[in-house]
Amino acid sequence: MPPTDLEPARMNRKKGDKGFESPRPYKLTHQVVCINNINFQRKSVVGFVELTIFPTVANLNRIKLNSKQCRIYRVRINDLEAAFIYNDPTLEVCHNESKQRNLNYFSNAYAAAVSAVDPDAGNGELCIKVPSELWKHVDELKVLKIHINFSLDQPKGGLHFVVPNVEGSMAERGAHVFSCGYQNSTRFWFPCVDSYSELCTWKLEFTVDAAMVAVSNGDLVETVYTHDMRKKTFHYMLTIPTAASNISLAIGPFEILVDPYMHEVTHFCLPQLLPLLKHTTSYLHEVFEFYEEILTCRYPYSCFKTVFIDEAYVEVAAYASMSIFSTNLLHSAMIIDETPLTRRCLAQSLAQQFFGCFISRMSWSDEWVLKGISGYIYGLWMKKTFGVNEYRHWIKEELDKIVAYELKTGGVLLHPIFGGGKEKDKYVYYPEVFNKLLSLASTASSQKFQSHMWSQMLVSTYGFLKSISNVSGKDIQPLIKQWVDQSGVVKFYGSFAFNRKRNVLELEIKQDYTSPGTQKYVGPLKVTVQELDGSFNHTLQIEENSLKHDIPCHSKSRRNKKKKIPLMNGEEVDMDLSAMDADSPLLWIRIDPDMSVLRKVEFEQADFMWQYQLRYERDVVAQQESILALEKFPTPASRLALTDILEQEQCFYRVRMSACFCLAKIANSMVSTWTGPPAMKSLFTRMFCCKTCPNIVKTNNFMSFQSYFLQKTMPVAMALLRDVHNLCPKEVLTFILDLIKYNDNRKNKFSDNYYRAEMIDALANSVTPAVSVNNEVRTLDNLNPDVRLILEEITRFLNMEKLLPSYRHTITVSCLRAIRVLQKNGHVPSDPALFKSYAEYGHFVDIRIAALEAVVDYTKVDRSYEELQWLLNMIQNDPVPYVRHKILNMLTKNPPFTKNMESPLCNEALVDQLWKLMNSGTSHDWRLRCGAVDLYFTLFGLSRPSCLPLPELGLVLNLKEKKAVLNPTIIPEVIAGSQEATMNPSSHAQLVGFQNPFSSSQDEEEIDMDTVHDSQAFISHHLNMLERPSTPGLSKYRPASSRPTIIPQHPSGCDGTPSTKPQWNMEFSRKGTGREQSPLEMSMHPAAATPLSVFTKESTSSKHSDHHHHHHHEHKKKKKKHKHKHKHKHKHDSKEKDKEPFTFSSPASGRSIHSPSLSD
Amino acid sequence: MADTAATAGAGSSGTRSGSKQSTNPADNYHLARRRTLQVVVSSLLTEAGFESAEKASVETLTEMLQSYISEIGRSAKSYCEHTARTQPTLSDIVVTLVEMGFNVDTLPAYAKRSQRMVITAPPVTNQPVTPKALTAGQNRPHPPHIPSHFPEFPDPHTYIKTPTYREPVSDYQVLREKAASQRRDVERALTRFMAKTGKTQSLFKDDVSTFPLIAARPFTIPYLTALLPSELEMQQMEETDSSEQDEQTDTENLSLHISTAQTEARV
Repeated sequence: MPPTDLEPARMNRKKGDKGFESPRPYKLTHQVVCINNINFQRKSVVGFVELTIFPTVANLNRIKLNSKQCRIYRVRINDLEAAFIYNDPTLEVCHNESKQRNLNYFSNAYAAAVSAVDPDAGNGELCIKVPSELWKHVDELKVLKIHINFSLDQPKGGLHFVVPNVEGSMAERGAHVFSCGYQNSTRFWFPCVDSYSELCTWKLEFTVDAAMVAVSNGDLVETVYTHDMRKKTFHYMLTIPTAASNISLAIGPFEILVDPYMHEVTHFCLPQLLPLLKHTTSYLHEVFEFYEEILTCRYPYSCFKTVFIDEAYVEVAAYASMSIFSTNLLHSAMIIDETPLTRRCLAQSLAQQFFGCFISRMSWSDEWVLKGISGYIYGLWMKKTFGVNEYRHWIKEELDKIVAYELKTGGVLLHPIFGGGKEKDKYVYYPEVFNKLLSLASTASSQKFQSHMWSQMLVSTYGFLKSISNVSGKDIQPLIKQWVDQSGVVKFYGSFAFNRKRNVLELEIKQDYTSPGTQKYVGPLKVTVQELDGSFNHTLQIEENSLKHDIPCHSKSRRNKKKKIPLMNGEEVDMDLSAMDADSPLLWIRIDPDMSVLRKVEFEQADFMWQYQLRYERDVVAQQESILALEKFPTPASRLALTDILEQEQCFYRVRMSACFCLAKIANSMVSTWTGPPAMKSLFTRMFCCKTCPNIVKTNNFMSFQSYFLQKTMPVAMALLRDVHNLCPKEVLTFILDLIKYNDNRKNKFSDNYYRAEMIDALANSVTPAVSVNNEVRTLDNLNPDVRLILEEITRFLNMEKLLPSYRHTITVSCLRAIRVLQKNGHVPSDPALFKSYAEYGHFVDIRIAALEAVVDYTKVDRSYEELQWLLNMIQNDPVPYVRHKILNMLTKNPPFTKNMESPLCNEALVDQLWKLMNSGTSHDWRLRCGAVDLYFTLFGLSRPSCLPLPELGLVLNLKEKKAVLNPTIIPEVIAGSQEATMNPSSHAQLVGFQNPFSSSQDEEEIDMDTVHDSQAFISHHLNMLERPSTPGLSKYRPASSRPTIIPQHPSGCDGTPSTKPQWNMEFSRKGTGREQSPLEMSMHPAAATPLSVFTKESTSSKHSDHHHHHHHEHKKKKKKHKHKHKHKHKHDSKEKDKEPFTFSSPASGRSIHSPSLSD
Repeated sequence: MADTAATAGAGSSGTRSGSKQSTNPADNYHLARRRTLQVVVSSLLTEAGFESAEKASVETLTEMLQSYISEIGRSAKSYCEHTARTQPTLSDIVVTLVEMGFNVDTLPAYAKRSQRMVITAPPVTNQPVTPKALTAGQNRPHPPHIPSHFPEFPDPHTYIKTPTYREPVSDYQVLREKAASQRRDVERALTRFMAKTGKTQSLFKDDVSTFPLIAARPFTIPYLTALLPSELEMQQMEETDSSEQDEQTDTENLSLHISTAQTEARV
């Protein structure tokens, strides 16, 4: 990181001693949220909030709050009408549509926009002027009560209405509404201080139809019927100070289940699902017990509520004392596969109740601590519940994921820049470190629980480290420095040689720290060597230049054939040692077996060593590593080792499952020498088929889950086998078809829907590309007979699903995927119509996603502009936010084209369309906006899309290889810009990934300065015009530009350069933008607090002046005539609306008309 | 006297005592019984000192005697069945008579009275000629406990069962095979029927009938069908206890299902 960041970080830690210092000039103590009318038909909400605040500085005359989408009717402070202005720069990130289309530009503008309303920077969309009558009151730091009436009409984010289109009352229809959003999205549904660091107590009131239930945070104090008995009001009190971002709401005709084990826990689900709810939640009390025990502290809230709703935004969302789950997590006792997944979700949400909801964080860069601790205790629960194998497997899976991610997109930095969702994964890789941390966590938390100092409930990185050293006495600073202050993973390459003379193992460990996403590791590294005499751990010190490490061996290499070989776990086993090198006592070597370093290890050892490791090493991670390595050794010995593992009942089932796939790969590599029946066939027959008639599978009995998973997986792996013609052997296909034919679940206690779905997957796996003569049209007549059989099965399965639907429609999902495979391989004409019909709203979400995935794939393969438009249309208009997000996600993963590719789809209209999507079309959903940015990045890269004509202004954009260079000091902005939005891990890291090109390249990119300037100036102007020049609150802030935050403060960061802006502005208006700009300067000038008049004059003369119309607040009551000459975009909005394909009505604009004038 | 009458009333089935004129054996039987009773009534009247009687009064007395005997028979049968027997014993008759207010002790003396008249056995009528064509096989002779005057066994073909069933399929493989193909046929027929009667989609533009897919239909509340187990599954879950399950039980289980629904609905 650039040095600028380290300094604030250090300061942060210094200041951390004194506790939390609020960036806001007031302290919020209590907030009332009252929603007195909810209209499901119109999807609207009417209510008010009342915030009780104590000014912390005298002369506080502007109060900034967060609010998006809401229509604010009236604001009163202590019963006096207060003027307010409502401006949301994130609605449209870049104003004054120019030809500017590059992401660098966008992210700068977005950074500015977000920080302009960031509550952690003391900002907000809603700026309320304290009436002059109260100034004296304020100066005495007396309490202010801000009463805001608001309404919300057809919200596009924040609150989600689900209103099924059937007959009956709303309750009968199962209509419901719930709050949702990514991270702090509470501002979308009521005005608040939408920060995790502003805690207060809450009173929540919701008036709903008598048939409905409102579930919210805290204790339900009372339920009062209205006098006509048609409605009732739910009163909730939350006495534990909580951040607004952790406030939630769910209203619907819920069925209610009081947990039979814990009466303070209540579960809610939609009508008819009560039996499923009972079964699903029957396990929750054990999770409670577990957490309370390991944390040695009681669950902090007096009650806990779980609500299961449809069309969920995310599967699990944890809020103070309540969690909102997707209804699709519910399952009956017959379902095997979903059970562990759902339990994981429940456990995860509960862990977040402790860390995340109850204990909140100070700033965004502290997010990783909470995610880490909750992830860690969740991991402990996993270990206890599913066993060490599952736990270690999970750790490895997460480790692989993050390594792959960082190597692909660049490092993820935990602190000072938050790591966006990945930190959890990253953190849990230190199980042994965490043992220390755990004691801390529990001790620290229990201390905190007794304390009524609210700021104690906020955790920061510094505070966390301090607690660790206090509690455990250990200094983990090097660890933090390596993993938290730096981004990237370690890439080890290991190889070894055995020196017989010295009886020494010469280990060579190289590192790659130059590729993106990697870092250099210095410190201890554990190496485990299994010798004939036993297993030995060695700790190597990895230093700058030492590559070679000599490890003395214990065994004398004189092999005693009779002797048993001791393993790491104390077990002693007989081994057939004939395969090994006679001179060496080494059986296998493992680097960093405990996964305590975030690393990727590529280790070279002989095939027999991998085979020994697979057979005899008891650690599942080692087994999986060896399976992966054996893919490169297609020999009969490998085959035997894998088959043995497959047969071993004691072996962890996931290892056996991956052995299946490895065996298939090996068999394919050995195809010319392979003897006997196809791989795994005889094994499967032996394990799962009848003894008397080996071609018939036994009737299903899934009592043993391990063999169930193996039974499911083996055919899928077998279908990947290929003969010498690269076709799936006929024998295998017949075998799978027989499995389907003889499948009999009548006597089974469990549902076989997942099993049948995997059989269809197996059929799909067996499909090989069609032999096509002269590109003939695919018709039924020239259909391959094997494919005909497959198609017959798929048709029957898909049709039966209509009559007897399976749980979560797993079979339909598999059928759709299989059909797409057939299309792609040229057996069936490629046609998206079927998928499009399954993608419609009204199908189960899993089906929709599977169908959409096929459409996305079709769009790519067939380069269909029409389907791309259809998808883009869905991204904007689909009623389900998750589906919208998912389409963007899938398009990003499987893009129709990428930046370096020529494609007929890549044209100016598409660029415009996507630009509008991320610029203004997705302002209601942070996650969606990130998704749009991700897609834009994948399609066009960081710089100006190549399909665009050169901009008119004669700018030279050097885009090919050189990226724009930005001064390091503003890099945090890039990230900070994504602050709120890019909690989405991928997009965040993408933005983080910007760093490298930025800092390494010396070439500059010319950016259309005018527009940058314009929009940013616009924002800052708006924000600054409200300040009384003498506001002490603000001046107190200003030094805060160097204050311990990583978020750059536009309004505050510009103290030194108030005069810069007009100059630039004039230059631009004169010269256009032909001048080269230092991005640093660029980032400074828009933030300048300029006198109003100067600014206005300049802006009117600028070439974009047509967009800067004067916004008049006309108030006839007032005697004076005020002409506010501030730029406003409303008119611009409406003008553009007609031609924009994405019409986005901004609920924020122009809604303050009824408010008194903001004149001084 | 009453004793004999009772035996005649309860036990006899007198096709043989029927008159020659009668066409119907049942009528013959009634007539013969009636005639016997009339003889009995007449002799009793004679015993009592009457020289002649009007036909109507003899008829009335015959009627009364018949009712009395029938009642004894019916009641005795009830007593016998009450004690879970099928054959009335003497004690059943005695109890019946007592119940009917008859002093049983007087009966032996009455039977041994000096002036009693002995009635000849009913005349044996000729065997009715059964047409040859209807006989098949050899009729079985009466077992010793059946009086010879009882009717003969009917022709063997009317009661002898013929083992015409095939050997039940017990081969596991065949059963599985059958169950599988049967289910498959039913499913295919059903889905094809649904596809024929409703909207369909097709994977091939030129051919919509070979692989007809029932058209996707959105639900108003999609999660309900996706999450709730179907009734079939619920039922299955109640019935099934997998702990009992093993390979052997399949055999019995299968045969139950095979007989269901043959696939006539091949569309």
